[in-house]
Amino acid sequence: MEYFIQQLINGLTLGGIYALIALGYTMVYGIIQLINFAHGEFFAAGGYMGVILLSFLSANGYLATNPWLCLSGSIILAMIYCSLLATGVEKIAYKPLRKSSRLSVLLSALGMSIFIQNGLMLTQGVYDKPYPSIFSGGGFDFGNIKISYMQIVILLITILLLVFLNILVFKTRIGKAMRATAQDKTMSSLVGIKSDRVISITFIIGASLAAAAGIMVGMYYGSVGYNMGFVPGIKAFAAAVLGGIGNITGAMIGGLLIGIIEIFGAGYISSEYKDVFAFIILIGVLYFMPTGIMGENVDDTRV
Amino acid sequence: MKFKKLKLFVLTIITAIFISAGAFAETLKIGSMGPLTGPYAADGNDIANGVRSAIAVIEDEGGIEGFDKIELFAEDTACDPRQAVAAANKLINSEVIGVIGAYCSSATIPASEVLAEEDIIMITPASTNEKVTERELKYMFRMCGRDDDQSKAAVSFLKYKKAKTVFIIDDKTTYSQGLAENVAKGCEAAGIKVILHDHVNQGDKDFSAVLTKLKSKAPDALYMSLQNSATGSLMAIQAKRIGIEATILSQDAVYHPQFIDIAKDAAEGIYLTCGFMDKGTESYKNFIAKFQKITGTDKSGAYSVYAYDSAITLLKAIKKTGGTDPAKIKEAMLKMNYQGASKNISFKENGDSSSSYIIFKVENKNFKNHWNPETGELFSETK
Repeated sequence: MEYFIQQLINGLTLGGIYALIALGYTMVYGIIQLINFAHGEFFAAGGYMGVILLSFLSANGYLATNPWLCLSGSIILAMIYCSLLATGVEKIAYKPLRKSSRLSVLLSALGMSIFIQNGLMLTQGVYDKPYPSIFSGGGFDFGNIKISYMQIVILLITILLLVFLNILVFKTRIGKAMRATAQDKTMSSLVGIKSDRVISITFIIGASLAAAAGIMVGMYYGSVGYNMGFVPGIKAFAAAVLGGIGNITGAMIGGLLIGIIEIFGAGYISSEYKDVFAFIILIGVLYFMPTGIMGENVDDTRV
Repeated sequence: MKFKKLKLFVLTIITAIFISAGAFAETLKIGSMGPLTGPYAADGNDIANGVRSAIAVIEDEGGIEGFDKIELFAEDTACDPRQAVAAANKLINSEVIGVIGAYCSSATIPASEVLAEEDIIMITPASTNEKVTERELKYMFRMCGRDDDQSKAAVSFLKYKKAKTVFIIDDKTTYSQGLAENVAKGCEAAGIKVILHDHVNQGDKDFSAVLTKLKSKAPDALYMSLQNSATGSLMAIQAKRIGIEATILSQDAVYHPQFIDIAKDAAEGIYLTCGFMDKGTESYKNFIAKFQKITGTDKSGAYSVYAYDSAITLLKAIKKTGGTDPAKIKEAMLKMNYQGASKNISFKENGDSSSSYIIFKVENKNFKNHWNPETGELFSETK
């Protein structure tokens, strides 16, 4: 039983990380039906920005005296940086293609992903960058079960963001504008919604979520590398599809499910096949529910 | 900064081509192969920088008679068998005399077959899988040790530690899995029970599931067979977090300063098998001085030293024969017996050099010589 609970906690943490990244995929898809393959790279860029800021603060001694202030400051700065990056990518690579076929935007996204990944490699080097270890230690012990502070922080942040995004999309004016743009871009601009601006804002939100996830991952695992965005990007994409792409709660559920399945696959059967189990479930669910778990009313509920 | 260097590098190559074409100069071309991009980029760049250091040292000593300069073609294998073959073909087109590389055994083996058709000498500084030198290729050499020797060292250390049970994890590359299987066999023969031999995927970051499994089985030792030092540090951090008390033994691919930089406290007390290196020799000091000049750091991984020795050996052999005939170079290499930066270098008929695996231990953020499987004794405190 202890073993089961420990694995469940491991799964929830991993799932929380996938969910954080998947939220960004799903928001962007919801509004312009674009699978933003560069999203994994925003995540990596956020992780790097975090390590640069935190190492700087740690070298100057601020990190030891005010750890939480430094951490929240770094997260906010990294989010701002990634928002700018995402705005730039959107303006350069996606906006000029808005009227062309979906396939060309998709290819543009793939190209952007490779471009940013190599940019990170050339500017930041090929070696993994270590995070200051101040946050990674510590936790609660319940008998043999261990929960680290970072695991709790990751889950809390994921849940908070989910609630915040749901309020943003369903209760605010900008959320209403997003839903309108998602349903019909032309019609919504006829009634006075600046759809380009709404799309930019969606990109910004998605990228800041990815930046936060990047820093969480960096602190939890202890390091970031230039190619860290690829694998979690694919898994998060799968999570978004599993939950019903375009649906925020769906992305969260999908992320947690993929994380838990992966961990249980590895814990009870073999680590070798854990990805296989995750994708078998994905295929199975999509076979019976082609729009994903939460994706029934695609046109009404997506962002 | 990196960008600037790259630009400079490209410019020098372009000008070098023009100059050499203009002035009837004879250029000695050698190649290097390794993963310059992808997850193993750190090790691939170590290899290329090791070769660069060797070229710089030889040029400082007056170069090689008959050649005005030595030029390096550093190709990227990305640790991918297909890309390795493409890289080998590119080097053949560049008309290199010899190649230092590659890193992953799974890339070295297919690349060596392509190079062998053109009688190009290949010295691998890093591929430890036995098959590398067991295919009767005429011009295949190996500077590092062999996995069968490495696994023997690992097993005898586990015996010395009085481990009764061992849990083995590998990441399914030719190298890591081959080594893990050798260790598993050795353990069975030595009466150490292999509780489980589990595999993880390359590129995984989260090992919480397999480590939780490990904890519940409470083995005496964990044999961590991974292709990459960064992955090793991730596993070490998570093992410490979960509270694993088993003796952790890893291998030469994890021997890299990066491992300690990332894992920090979690790396303390972890054991590794790697080739013995006497850091007091003149050759090692020569190497590390040049390496520092080129890379700006004196923290070299295991493979940059081997790459350096491989390149020095090749260049020395070319110098001795005064030409580029591969058969003569091979003959000269087989006759060699000198103190290199990593070890005393001499080759066997099949291309292997000696293995000199010892056990290192991470202590106070450094790899310390710990235990010698030859004598079964601990190293003294001094080195």
